[in-house]
Amino acid sequence: MMVPVRCFTCGTVVGEHWEEFDERANEGEEDPKEVLDELGVERYCCRRMLVSHTDLVDVVSPYQ
Amino acid sequence: MTEEYDVEFVEREDREARFLVRGVTPAFANGIRRAMIADVPTMAIDTVRFVENSSVMFDEQLALRLGLVPLTTPPVGEFVEDDTVTLSIDVEGPATAYSGNLVSSDSLVQPADENVPIIDLKDGQRLEAEAEVVLDRGKNHAKHQGGVAVGYRHLQRVEVVGDVPEFEEPDERIVRGVIEDDGELVPTSEFDHDLTNRYPDQEVAIEDVPNAFVFHVETDGSFTVEELVTRAAETIEARATELEEAVQL
Repeated sequence: MMVPVRCFTCGTVVGEHWEEFDERANEGEEDPKEVLDELGVERYCCRRMLVSHTDLVDVVSPYQ
Repeated sequence: MTEEYDVEFVEREDREARFLVRGVTPAFANGIRRAMIADVPTMAIDTVRFVENSSVMFDEQLALRLGLVPLTTPPVGEFVEDDTVTLSIDVEGPATAYSGNLVSSDSLVQPADENVPIIDLKDGQRLEAEAEVVLDRGKNHAKHQGGVAVGYRHLQRVEVVGDVPEFEEPDERIVRGVIEDDGELVPTSEFDHDLTNRYPDQEVAIEDVPNAFVFHVETDGSFTVEELVTRAAETIEARATELEEAVQL
């Protein structure tokens, strides 16, 4: 659904980086690794939160 | 503690720092680490009253998301446990509700990050809610945990003991943390965590420096690293005093 606010494992706030990450790495052509490095998302527990996330709000909203 | 102890910063930013503490026992170092994670009170949303929620997520899901937003924690003494502050949010779609849309009744308690998306609202959807903020500790709920990824390692001393024989293929020597070389502190990231980059063709010996620990501390934005460490030390003192009083005859 929406991106998790914090990393499940360590508790760092990762939600604030989602929109930029989505725009640059998912919609855009940039390498996810470099985008995450630039955003300052260092640990692999936080990186998987953004890499593996899918926004589902647009998918479920017609059935509201 | 009777022994002198000494703190030296290796890296220092508002929300992240690395510092060396000398002259503490492993037990005390771990005590500070645990106090930073579980015993420093921070502000977080605890109860939410929904006036209107026509978004695609349920009330309780949104309440969890709101709870996890870090809030700035006022100085010690401004608030006690059980005091509350009210935050309100009112966003109408099509728009995204962000943590920055939370309006606080107290200027000391504000969202620490303004760009955390709470919920995407489509045409005609609306989120209106009031939330109560309370002061509590990390041991009761992870949303009150001010320190994230708090840990420490031994300081390691590196000494050159000789040369590698001329025709031998050198193996990599991976070390992480901070090393001490002739009294100089060097984070291992400077030489890509591999000692053969820093001491090419030399044989080195590594040993832990007794009672010297390098802490790596990050905060979620509730307060600065200095504030977190000082408050953690204060909670240890408060508990020690409480114990002392409890066991007196």
